[in-house]
This record gives sequence, C-alpha cells and structure tokens, in this order.
Amino acid sequence: MIRNNRMKRYSIVSAVVAAGAMVLSTLPAQAADPGVTATEIKLGVSTPLTGSAGLAYGKVPGAMKAYFDYINANGGVYGRKIKLVVRDDKYLPTLAATQTTNLILKDNVFALVGALGTATHSKAYTAASLAAKNVPDLFVNTGFSGFGNISKYPTAFTVLPSYAMEAKIMSKFIKEKFAGQAVALIAQDDEFGVDGVNGFKAGALALANTTLYPQSSLNDARVKALLTGLSAIPGKPVVVLFGTTDVTALIFKAAESLNLVSKFTWIAGSVGGDANTLLALGVKPTTIDGAVAASFFPDAKDSTDAYVSQFMKINEKYNKGVSFDNIVLQGMNSAMLTVQALRAAGKNLTRTGLIEAIQNKGSKFASAGLVPLNYSATSHVGYNGYWFGQLNAKGELKPYGGTLAIFTTDSAAGAVEASTYTRPALPKNGIPTNS
Amino acid sequence: MKNLKITRGLVALTSAALIATFAVAVPTAARAADLDCSTTAAASKYGAFDTTLCSGKDQFGAKFEIAMPKKFNGTFIVYSHGIRKNTDLPKLPSVSPQGYVVDYSPDIAPSKEIAAALLKQGFALGGSGVQTQGWNLQEQVLATTIVIDQAITKFPKINHVAAWGNSLGGLSTQLLAEQNPGLVDAVAPMCLAESALAEFTMAGDFLWGVKTLFDPTIKATGYSAGDAGKAEMIQDIIKVLTVFNTIKADISANPQTPPWPKTSTAPAALTGVIPVRSAVLLLGLISGISTQSSSFDSSSGPKGPLETSFGLAISPALAVLENGAEAAILAVVGNYDMELKAGGVVFDNSNTNYAARLGDDGDVYAAGLSGKTATAGMLGYLSALNPAAPRVKADQAAVARVKALGEIEGKITVPTITLTATADHITPPGATQYLINKYKASVANKQSKPGLLVNIWNKPADEYTTFDAAGVPQTPATPTNGTQHCNYTESQVMLVAKLLTDAAKSGKAPTNKTVLAAIKKQPRLFVDPNYVAPLFKYRQ
Repeated sequence: MIRNNRMKRYSIVSAVVAAGAMVLSTLPAQAADPGVTATEIKLGVSTPLTGSAGLAYGKVPGAMKAYFDYINANGGVYGRKIKLVVRDDKYLPTLAATQTTNLILKDNVFALVGALGTATHSKAYTAASLAAKNVPDLFVNTGFSGFGNISKYPTAFTVLPSYAMEAKIMSKFIKEKFAGQAVALIAQDDEFGVDGVNGFKAGALALANTTLYPQSSLNDARVKALLTGLSAIPGKPVVVLFGTTDVTALIFKAAESLNLVSKFTWIAGSVGGDANTLLALGVKPTTIDGAVAASFFPDAKDSTDAYVSQFMKINEKYNKGVSFDNIVLQGMNSAMLTVQALRAAGKNLTRTGLIEAIQNKGSKFASAGLVPLNYSATSHVGYNGYWFGQLNAKGELKPYGGTLAIFTTDSAAGAVEASTYTRPALPKNGIPTNS
Repeated sequence: MKNLKITRGLVALTSAALIATFAVAVPTAARAADLDCSTTAAASKYGAFDTTLCSGKDQFGAKFEIAMPKKFNGTFIVYSHGIRKNTDLPKLPSVSPQGYVVDYSPDIAPSKEIAAALLKQGFALGGSGVQTQGWNLQEQVLATTIVIDQAITKFPKINHVAAWGNSLGGLSTQLLAEQNPGLVDAVAPMCLAESALAEFTMAGDFLWGVKTLFDPTIKATGYSAGDAGKAEMIQDIIKVLTVFNTIKADISANPQTPPWPKTSTAPAALTGVIPVRSAVLLLGLISGISTQSSSFDSSSGPKGPLETSFGLAISPALAVLENGAEAAILAVVGNYDMELKAGGVVFDNSNTNYAARLGDDGDVYAAGLSGKTATAGMLGYLSALNPAAPRVKADQAAVARVKALGEIEGKITVPTITLTATADHITPPGATQYLINKYKASVANKQSKPGLLVNIWNKPADEYTTFDAAGVPQTPATPTNGTQHCNYTESQVMLVAKLLTDAAKSGKAPTNKTVLAAIKKQPRLFVDPNYVAPLFKYRQ
C-alpha cells in the first residue's frame, strides 16, 4: 500500500497556465525563412508517384515542374528560379507525414505546393507541424471541406471545389436533367465520400441506393456483385461514382464485362472522371462515350482555350513524352497560381508575406478555372463551382446539352446559383506579371 | 561542481525528509564506510580496468553501485532504470520464456557496453536497483538521491553530477531534478514515461478493448487478493497472448478479410462484416498505440496488387498488433501491481468517449478501419451505452493515491536533454511533449528560465518493412531503430551522454547548432523546436 504521507511530498502544486502562454520563449529569434536565397525558391510536394494512386495522379508534380521550368527559362520570379522537390508518398498517410516532414526538415523547402489527398495531407499537415512553422501549404488537391477550417489549417489553401459543393451542384443537375430516373450513389466510405453524401443531402437529391466502400477494398468480384444488384433497379438508373479514378475504371470494366454499360446513366465525379486516365487504365472508349463528368476547368482537349493551348505548348517542351490531360492541366494551373502568389508576396519573400498575398490577392489570380477563386482572409478554399459535360469516345468533355452551364455554391446550405464569373485573361505567353 | 555544498546539503535534507516519510522501520543509514569496493568487480562486470566498483545497500534495502575510474574526469552520472515486473512469473511465451524472478539488481547505465564506454572516458557512474519494483517513482527518486549522496561522500573529487534514465527511470530523473533544485547539474530523461494514470490509461484502454471485442473472459482489472489474484493475472496474460497469436495468424493467412477470434462475443453485424484487423487498428488508435512497429511501417507494401492497400489498410493494423501485445501485457501486469499498491482498481473508462479519442484518426485511417460505417459500428459497440461492453469504474481512493505519486511539472532549473522515439509503443512521444508544454508554461509563468530544454527525436527510416519473394512481410533481425521501447543505438545514447555531461560542466544547455552538429551523422535523429507530438489520449 502506498502511504499518503509519502505522496503529499509529490503532489502537484503548479498552476495550469493560460492557453495563450504558448510562446516559444526558449527559442532564439528566427532567422530568414528557409528555402529562399537570392537566386532560388525551393518548393516541395509530397504526392503519389507510384502505387495505384500514382497511376491516376502521378502526373501532377511533373506538370508543375514543367511550368516552373518554363518560368525559370523566362527569368524566374523576381530573378529567383523555382526548384521543386518531389517526394513520393504512395497515397499513404503515414508515408505522406514522413515525406512532408522530410521536405521541411531535410530539404528545407520554403513552401509546399500541390499536395494531394485528404487522409494523406491531413496527417502530414499535423505531423510536420506546418502550422507551428508557418509553412505556406499552397493549392492542396483535395475537396474535403474540413480543410476550410482556417483555425485548424491556418497556412493551407485548397484549390479544388469541395466535395460538398460538387454534390450539391450535381444534385441540381441530376434533378433537372434526369428527372424520374432512380439514382444510385457509389462513394468512398471516408471523409471524401461522406462529404459528398452530405452534399447530396443538402441538395435534396433522393438516392434509391447508396453504396459506401472503404478505399482500396473493391475488387472485380465485389463490383460485379454490386452492379448486378443495381441492374435490378427498373429503367435506366443514374449511377453516380464518387471515388478515385482507379475505382471508376474498375466499375466501368466490370460493367463492360457484365454488358451493363448501357443499362445505366453514368456520372463520374471530378476526382474519378479523367477520361485519359480511364482509357489508360483499360476502359473502352465506347464505355466512356456518353458518360457524364463534372469539371471546373475547360476540357483538357480543347486546344481553342487560351490556357489549355498555352499549357499544351509548355507541356510539349518541358514535359516531354507526357500526354496532356486534366491531371497535367491541374498541375500546371496550380503552378501558375503559385507563381502569381510568389510575385504578389513581393521581392522580400517571407512565409507570412506569401500567405497574406494569397489571402489579399488570390481571388484575382489568373487561372484556367471557369469558376471563381475564393481566397480571402476568411476563406482558404479555392474554386467553388462546376459544370457538367458528356465524354465522347475520344475522351473529350463537351458541355451537356451543348451549352456550357456553370454553377457555384458553398459547402454549407447556400444556394446553387448560375455563375456570372468572367475568367481573367491568360497572362501574355502564360507568364504572370502581377505584383 | 558549482554548487557542491548546496547539493550535498540538499542530499542530506532530501534524504532525511524522504526517510521520514517511510513508515517502515529505518535501519541505520548506510554510509560510505558500508560500501564494498573492489577493482576486480568492475573489470569482470563492465570490462573496465582501473576502475573501483563500490556496491552497497541503502537504508531501505535497495542495492546500488558506484563505479569510479582511476582517471576520473570529475563528472558523476547517475542512472535510473526503467520499470521492472514486480512479481515472479512462471514460464510464459514472449513474456517470460525462462520464467521471471523480480530483478533488484542495480544498473549504472542503459547497458553494460555503454557503462564500459563511459568509464573508459573517465566518467564515474552509479545507479540503484531500487527496493520496490513496478511503478516505483517515489522510491526511485529517493534511491537515486541516496546514490548521489553516497557517491559524493565517498568520492569528494566529484565536481559535477548528471542524471539520466530510461522510461520510468527517465520520469524519475526528471522529477529528481524538478523536486530537488541544485541536486544535479544536468539531466537526460530518455524514452520518458508519462504519469502513472496517463500510461495505465493508454495500456488499460487497449486491454479493455481487447477484452470487450475479442475475449470477454479476460479479467483485466479488479484482481482478487492473494494467490487467487496472481493466478487471475497469469491467466489474463495467457488469454491475451492467445488472442494476439490467433489474430496474427489469421491476418497472415487472409490479410484482406481475416476473421475474428472464436472467443469474441461481438455481434455478427461486426464480426461478419468487418475484418478483425480493422478492430485491432481501432483499438490502437483510441488508446494511442503507435501505428508503426518494428516490422511494420504503415508505408510499404509488397510488389503486386496489395502494394497500396497493404500500406494503407493492413500494415497499420499489424503494427498495432505487434505493439499492442506488449502494451496489453503491460496493462495486465501493471494493473495487477498497481491495484495491489493503491488498494483498488485504478483504471477508469466509465466516462471515456472513445469516438472523441479517435478524433481525426478516423479520417486518416478510414481505409484501415474499413470505412466510416464500420468505424461507427465498432464505436457503437464500445459505447458506454452498450450493456454488452461494460465500462470500468475505478476506486477513487486508489486513483487519488496514484495521482499523488507525482508527475511532470515542467519546472526546469538545469539543462535538460530528452531523447524520444516517435514510434515508441510504451512511452509514446506524447510524454516528452507534455514535458515541453509544461516547461513552456513554466517559462511563461517565470517559474523556469528559458533555454534549458533540448529535445532530440528518434524516428524510424522512411520505409523499412521488407517482404520475401512471396510478398510475406519479414521480421527484422534487429529491432528497427525509432520503434519499440527505449530502442536506441549505442552511438545515439553516447551522443546524449556527451551532451549531458558537457551541459553538467557548463551549466548551459547545448545550443541548437551544437546539437545539429552532434547528430549530423545520425540519420535517425532530428531536432525541431516546432515539432509537436500528440499528447497521450489521457491528456487530450
């Protein structure tokens, strides 16, 4: 038995200190932010290059690097060349945390740009202490609305519209274009899919069937069983695919095998609807022909679009051998936003200055997006809208019904509204000159 | 030593005060004259020639040793060992393959090799075996104080005193310095333990989850008195090992959809739908067990179709399984010992919100948990509202006794250097983070001076799980550095010793520049003033 009189000596006597007293007074004064010299700005990205996600999204860093190389060849940013350090996280949260920490501690990058994935980056953000280090975390490729929480992710700026926005706008689209058809949802059973489910609820879309599956849990047999079950729904049900591209491909190939492609009206969400990737993963052109997909960009095959055309040229010269698609477009667009952000932060580049520049000027940045950017001191969420199109056998996305109809909304209960946004013109030769 | 007179006075005062608190009959205090000193013992035990090894017993019966090299450099380093089982055990696989008899032997350094190396460098070393094992925080602080007293009495040429320790010994080292300003010149808590309640809550939550989900016949808490209680404890160890071995074998045979153990009474809505690996992962996440273990990095997969899903969904569960076996055994043995010492049940989850404990990890590990729906189902079963998952209510008097054992207050007055592995499954980095937080608060309150705390972190390699040609994960020949408990390399510990003793001499903590230079050739060590480790779930 432990005796009380002995314990008294050791009882706690200190008071709990107010939360505001977390000043790191033990540290020496900070020197200049790392990763910036007179001649170079070092940026970093942790993203899947290998594994199943690497097949779908592995082109993002190469596209960013190509655009940065183009800018470097044209004088850089205020004379500084941009160096992009790329680390492969295989789309695994633990490895993403490791690689992001490596980017900060080993590679001494100034800022992060273009990280991809919700589970991966939410873990990485915390593990690498990005908030405590005030590391700008630019244009994260996730639509998870939770990243909009500035108090939790004060240095992060997402670029994609939220999954909730997408689902709300999709709800309106389905109700208008496919009235009377039953709707089935196949979504990832995590924050990505749940964000979507909440968006469909907010959009008041009646779902005849909802299938939630854990990431990496589907295989050919399970998908076939699922589609066979859904084929019992009378008529031509709408099947909404709210998952990653590899799963969209798995489902399409299963439908091909079961001869069920024409049984359904297919709608692929923005994350899993890149036609080039689907074709590369073995989906037949005839399968995607007619499928509906969502986008906030111009079609990556539309060379009449000024941004697409410019990015295609850059891709051809600085990203040799890589086919141009939505993923490349996304990467280059984020790189262009990054250059504008660096310019807006001024010649005396600091992490705080970069964050403030995006907050103050980011909503005016030129970009390929057909919907507005929403950056401000109170919003770190990028795009906020979508349009819907139909894929053809070439993988081109054409506006549904022949007319481009863009809608915007928010992640909460706000209305879905027709967009009146006018996209800024492409900077001359795709080289920003903003300040 | 800058404050030798003060120190010696404090030693006497502290010893007297502590002695006075013991209710047991106090024999005549052992003094330097009672020490049994020899030069041959050091040679045979530590391979240290020209060293005098003094052995003794303190007034409470604790054995201690002091090793004094002939070419003494003026600094004495006193070591506090980690927790040891406080009960004899029969032969039990993994736990005590040869049987276990309570170990009271003194340790003067983290290992004999390190002792030999430090003695060769001219440092005097000392340490106590401590008379009471198990969670013996007070006893260890006292025993270490006595060793210091004995050393500086016997060897007046001691100028500086540094203290270090592993695990519970790290905690007692920290408290030794906090509670006795001026007693030591610098300290180095390594694999620092958190408070008793924080540690036992982590292990207890995990054990309660194992019992609830996999084998309700595990007793886990409330052990009977006497031999019956010990028999219950041993039976629990056997049952826990059986559960873990069964699950491990089932996951190996069927990684994607391994079945639940037959001893589980969880409903088919869980056992028939959710792979057992997801349940294991959930228990790890809600209790705070690391998802990186010696064999599993949560980052690698075998080449082929499982490459991504193994790292995403299977590896984290296997890591928890590998780590959790030891944590669960610790909970069994620790609960048993602590209940005896405190006079009642100390683990309490009567009001624990395990959904809140899961927090953001529910999103991060959604795939490994088999999705949000499965997670909600498992959390629902573990809910306090489920009569099939009865919660444990502690004896409040026992809890009060355990709380009074002492914990970190962060009042740092001497250079303090920590070494902490990011994937230690027994003393996770949250213990060191708690020290950091308390120290910052203490500095802000002007109770401590700034610049005295330096934290060195030890992380595993980026990817380290290996697979054979068939894709089967392999167990490493030596435990992976950065994982497991106090699993540091000799060179890492020697690096800490160098920083510690330099700080003891100078009275100043090493600068960031000094530490960076020291760890330059240590790829698994890093320093980062902004690194924030998650606190124990008990603190969240």
